[in-house]
Amino acid sequence: MAEVFVFATLNGLVTGLLLFMLASGLTLIFSMMGVLNFAHASFYMLGAYFAYTLSTYIGFWGGLLIAPLIVGGIGAAIERYGLRRVHQSGHVAELVFTFGLAFLIEEAVQFFWGRDTKNYQSPELFDFALFSLFGQEFSAYRGFMIAIACLIFAALYFILTRSRVGIIIQASISHPQTVANLGHNVPLIFMCVFGVGTALAGVAGVIAGPVLTTFPGMATVLGSIVFVVVVIGGLGSLPGALIASLLVGLLQSYAIAADVGVPELLNQFGVSFDSSHPLDDLWTLNLPQVAPVLPYLLLVLVLIFKPTGLMGNREE
Amino acid sequence: MKKQFPIWLGFALALILLPQIFDTVLGISILNQMTIWIIFALSYNMLLGQGGMLSFGHAVYFGLGGFMSVHALNLIADEIIVFSITLIPLVGGAVGLLAAFFIGSFSTRKSGTVFAMISLGIGELIVASSLIFADFFGGEAGVSGDRTYGPPFFGIEFLQDAEVYYLGAFWLFVATLFMYLFTQTPAGRMANAVRDNPERAEFIGYSTRRVRFISFCAAGLFAGVAGGLFAINYEFITEENLNALTSGRVLLMAYIGGLGFFIGPIVGAVILTLMNSLLSNYSEMWMLYLGIMFLLTVLFLPRGFAGFIMMHQTAWQNRRLGTLILPYLITAIPASLFLAGFVGLVELSHKGDDTLSFFGLILGTESMLSWGILLTLAGIGALGVKLSRPRLDAAWVLANTVTSDNGGDAQ
Amino acid sequence: MSLLTLDAVCKSFGSTRIINDVSLDIEAGEKHAIIGPNGAGKSTLFHLISGRYNVSSGAIGFQGKSIHNLPPYEIARRGIARSFQVTNIFPRMSVFENIRCALLWSEGYRYSFWQLVGRQKKLNEKSFGILEQIGLSDKAQLPSGELAYAQQRALELGVAIASGAELIMLDEPVAGMSNSEAENAVALIRRITEGKTLIMVEHDMNIVFDIADRISVLVYGEIIATDTPENIRGNKRVQEAYLGEVPCDA
Repeated sequence: MAEVFVFATLNGLVTGLLLFMLASGLTLIFSMMGVLNFAHASFYMLGAYFAYTLSTYIGFWGGLLIAPLIVGGIGAAIERYGLRRVHQSGHVAELVFTFGLAFLIEEAVQFFWGRDTKNYQSPELFDFALFSLFGQEFSAYRGFMIAIACLIFAALYFILTRSRVGIIIQASISHPQTVANLGHNVPLIFMCVFGVGTALAGVAGVIAGPVLTTFPGMATVLGSIVFVVVVIGGLGSLPGALIASLLVGLLQSYAIAADVGVPELLNQFGVSFDSSHPLDDLWTLNLPQVAPVLPYLLLVLVLIFKPTGLMGNREE
Repeated sequence: MKKQFPIWLGFALALILLPQIFDTVLGISILNQMTIWIIFALSYNMLLGQGGMLSFGHAVYFGLGGFMSVHALNLIADEIIVFSITLIPLVGGAVGLLAAFFIGSFSTRKSGTVFAMISLGIGELIVASSLIFADFFGGEAGVSGDRTYGPPFFGIEFLQDAEVYYLGAFWLFVATLFMYLFTQTPAGRMANAVRDNPERAEFIGYSTRRVRFISFCAAGLFAGVAGGLFAINYEFITEENLNALTSGRVLLMAYIGGLGFFIGPIVGAVILTLMNSLLSNYSEMWMLYLGIMFLLTVLFLPRGFAGFIMMHQTAWQNRRLGTLILPYLITAIPASLFLAGFVGLVELSHKGDDTLSFFGLILGTESMLSWGILLTLAGIGALGVKLSRPRLDAAWVLANTVTSDNGGDAQ
Repeated sequence: MSLLTLDAVCKSFGSTRIINDVSLDIEAGEKHAIIGPNGAGKSTLFHLISGRYNVSSGAIGFQGKSIHNLPPYEIARRGIARSFQVTNIFPRMSVFENIRCALLWSEGYRYSFWQLVGRQKKLNEKSFGILEQIGLSDKAQLPSGELAYAQQRALELGVAIASGAELIMLDEPVAGMSNSEAENAVALIRRITEGKTLIMVEHDMNIVFDIADRISVLVYGEIIATDTPENIRGNKRVQEAYLGEVPCDA
């Protein structure tokens, strides 16, 4: 029992940190530009694919270094030539644009790389078990994922709070006009933030690709969960995004690991059910089955009872 | 309303005559698809274009209506409840309405991005649930039925697609009429007002929440009707018809057609259905083209194709529309060349070892000449467009200028 | 009994107190102006009365019933209409439609989705009538977003009074207008508020002294004086608030 808990926690941590890597970029972009980037997970996918291709030439580490730069560059270009233009047409147009972008990127990926799953390998360096607990192994690569994620967040935190650039960015989030009046090039800042945000998503793709499989549907799979996380945490709140990411990651991990269900619960109370009844699906529910639904359930509940999210304060 | 009677008459006539013109199997099939998607897209525009509510989960009402309808078909076939299948869209509509009533009761509390997120969450929730509740949703295999087991409708058993078309056309006409009439009711007018200025709408005595809720329910109802038609047409439905992709598709249709006009979604549904049915036969990459077209529309034609047509209203009023024909033609020719070249490049890139049949030429990926031809074509086209633009722009300005001698009234 | 009463109304945003212990009685048929320096809280006061904000404490009563903390549509239905400092109309709808929508509730249409507005004779006649009153009949079919500024302000007025509300609140109705436009606007305001109660926020003292029966002066969220125009003119505290030190020969 204990080992299930420990591994579920570790796996949940990995998922949660990965989610946060995506959610943080999304939150930064939303805070600054007021646009919810529907295509954010698509940049994650691009990161994985570029890294895969690069890794076949210059190895995993080369991919890790260069792929995020490419993705960030594409992101910045999209902001400069696409998003900025659509911005004038209003929020709906922006959302629709990023939605169309997500769609296009998925098709483009299939066009350039094909529809099959790519054999993107994690580096051999990490092909060992970091530790073994109660007979189960925890792969070093996952440990590496946790380490990289933490490193990036530490870097982000220090840049945002301690450096001059970071202060300017923070100011631009709430008072872009004032920052512009002080002589800073706000459009350039926007473009850079978008580029960095998407590059972050790209990094997530680079390290998650080997583990979560690299295939054209990977953006769709993760995309909606990232939105759930960002909204639950509170649109525009980085701490909220962190808490929500970990919450969702751990929740799903525990739900999958805990193999209990309604039948067990009913049995506890001495109730049984008729398995041929049309409603029997309801009574045979078990937690692993429900796991995929949990984040959305949480989202709907949060949106009903606390629409600004757990830690958000932006009222639309 | 009197002025519009000819339009409705024309619409009805067109619906009756179209299958006579396009009487191939493919033609009828496409027309059938259009009836479904037009109703669906119009229902979506009740939310977005008229109500200002961006929803990413509208397929839920379409799908739920469809699932219930297929179950109803099966109930009819098993003779548990018997009624004519011509009424199935009403079943779909009722389910759509019920679902919208329930979900709208909490989701319409908020607007804007929060509303969009709720709709997305609900959509995903229901799709995820559909795999759990396998009895109703049929699991991954979906649910299938048979429309021919119902009681005959004046002798018709709906074995043929053409017969199904007339049923669909009937419901299309009825649904369109009612959706249009809704826009002319107090509820419909206030939906526009709430879209334009929710705060002010409250200050003239209307609860924005209530107004949105009514639009939401109406939109759900008609989406369910479309779902019912879908069930009759395909006799088969899966969780794919509930999911975000389907919701996205109807959003695309409404947007490309033009949100601000009642006929916008009709235009969009027609265009997309044609692309889906026809293009997919010619190219595997049609979705890519769709994506590009969508993005270009968002960037350059934010008011959609209907909006593009309406842009010419001033020129038409100035009676200068004719002056635009030549400049358009002059720009259209290089534009077509560019399009052909671009499409050729895309197609050729994907051919691998195969060859591409391009307007009679056989092009291969190995041949430098093939690439050269396509690149030159695209290049000339692009250059031509660039050169002809100023002329078009000048003609446009001229056509839109109001002067005293063309009788225009200063607007 | 007064038409509108404010009783020790306070409003704070966070720890900042914007409205501080405001009490006011407005009589039916009165034309009451609220003046004060910028940032005094005049618009906030309007928002409190019209339901956009909830009071932090205190009570607001209309026709004897309390209305504070009710939603704006509820307050509007009871007979309080307001216009906005920044033009707040329905830009994509035609001028005629703007007025017609403003009439819908008071003409009893509620959320009807079974009646066609085009067929409602009385509704449409009334709408045209109001359009004539505000002088926009010839612009009826134009999208209201395309009107010139002064015409938009006139429409703003029209939307506010269309429902036949008993109490009309106008927030800087002539802001941004030229002198001749303002003259027309004031004449319009006089016409359409005949027999009604009017509360007006205004900066132009000529207009204020012209229209108002009584004036309240709001400074830093407090009413420092409520009196007839002549008495306000000579009030020392008021002069201090506007001019700083009171000049010797006041």
